[in-house]
Amino acid sequence: MSAKAYHLNLLKASERVSSSPVRLRVMLPVLAMFAVAGAVVWWGSLLGRVLMAKSSIQTLQSEIDTRKAAYADVMEKMNLANELESELEQLEYYRGGCRSYGGVFTALAEVMPLKIQLTRLEIPPPPPQSLVPPGVLPGRPYTPLWGPTGNVESVSLVLAGRTPKETPIVSLMESLESDTFTNFISIVKDPRRSDQSPKVRSIRQDTSRRGEGSRMLAFEIEYRLKDRRFAK
Amino acid sequence: MNLQNMAPNAKRSLLITAVFGAAAACIYLFAVEPSESDLAQAKRDLEEVRTRHEMMMRNLSGADKVKERLENLNAGLDEFRAAILQPSLESYAMGAKRLLDPLAAGAGLSETEYEELPIVALPVPKRLPVQLFARRPIRLVCRGSYQAAVSFLLRVEKEFPLVALEAMSVTAQQDPLAQRVEFVFEWPVKGGRTKK
Repeated sequence: MSAKAYHLNLLKASERVSSSPVRLRVMLPVLAMFAVAGAVVWWGSLLGRVLMAKSSIQTLQSEIDTRKAAYADVMEKMNLANELESELEQLEYYRGGCRSYGGVFTALAEVMPLKIQLTRLEIPPPPPQSLVPPGVLPGRPYTPLWGPTGNVESVSLVLAGRTPKETPIVSLMESLESDTFTNFISIVKDPRRSDQSPKVRSIRQDTSRRGEGSRMLAFEIEYRLKDRRFAK
Repeated sequence: MNLQNMAPNAKRSLLITAVFGAAAACIYLFAVEPSESDLAQAKRDLEEVRTRHEMMMRNLSGADKVKERLENLNAGLDEFRAAILQPSLESYAMGAKRLLDPLAAGAGLSETEYEELPIVALPVPKRLPVQLFARRPIRLVCRGSYQAAVSFLLRVEKEFPLVALEAMSVTAQQDPLAQRVEFVFEWPVKGGRTKK
């Protein structure tokens, strides 16, 4: 007897190719019901999460509201502190630009050779400040800057005087290169550099006075002092 | 597929599937979808409130530090507040005269003459303050010896460490005790305001 003779054909021809033994007319409504149940659960979970988030928001908001006054006070103090910090920083820039010259002039009197008669000693004023923003064409309207773009101001010392011969000038210049003046005077001997110091502006026969003047040399030397640096 | 030819069971099955399918679609469209956007909005709100809350708590917990910082800043500023030149009779030159004349007289300088020069702006910090400060130069022209001028300068530097010498000149005259001496001192002063 062959196996084919005893085979029970329980499935319809259309159901034989289906992967599931459960019939489609049962599966479809069940799946649809699951879909409804799933959607309801999903919705419920979403509602729960929304409610939780809203409740957290409410809790945090009420805490924020109760501390509003204290917070406003702290914020005001922080703003004030920031403002004062900026003000202090700017004033520290000012302090950074302060230089003392009393010591230099005292020392200068001590090293001044007797044969030199100073006619003028000068720390010239700095050039006028420009608050024109960079890139503005001349004659065009502009809003001035709150402060200069640079923070360094160069300072020079001009010594003008008279002397019967050159040696006292050399002696004075040597003295000004000594350690006493290191903290005040810059010495840059390269004549190619714009900040050369000392720079002998002139040395000539003094013609300002008759008789005595013809035997005197008038000189003018410029020294570059340490820059004023308006920075902390 | 013809509905009329279908078995009653199959018809019922199809009807139930259609009803439940429609119900699932309705729940998704009219409940799940709006709830999803509600949740997204609530999450955003919560994040925003949480950030605000965290910032608030952080700032509140640092209140003592802020107080201490304020005290330190005020202590640092006190030195400058004392040094700021105040105008006298609406004039900074008068204010400077009031401070410097006793020192000049003590050093032996005479014929003092004060003049107010235009204000010079200071570099501004990165965080722009509302109240700016500036340099106020005051020119002082007087007569005296070189020694007197230096003595005066030393006294000014000692008494007012935040008064800076901007320019100076000593020009020889016939009498070495009465040289023409010119100083330009500068003081820190309140400048403009960056905000009204």
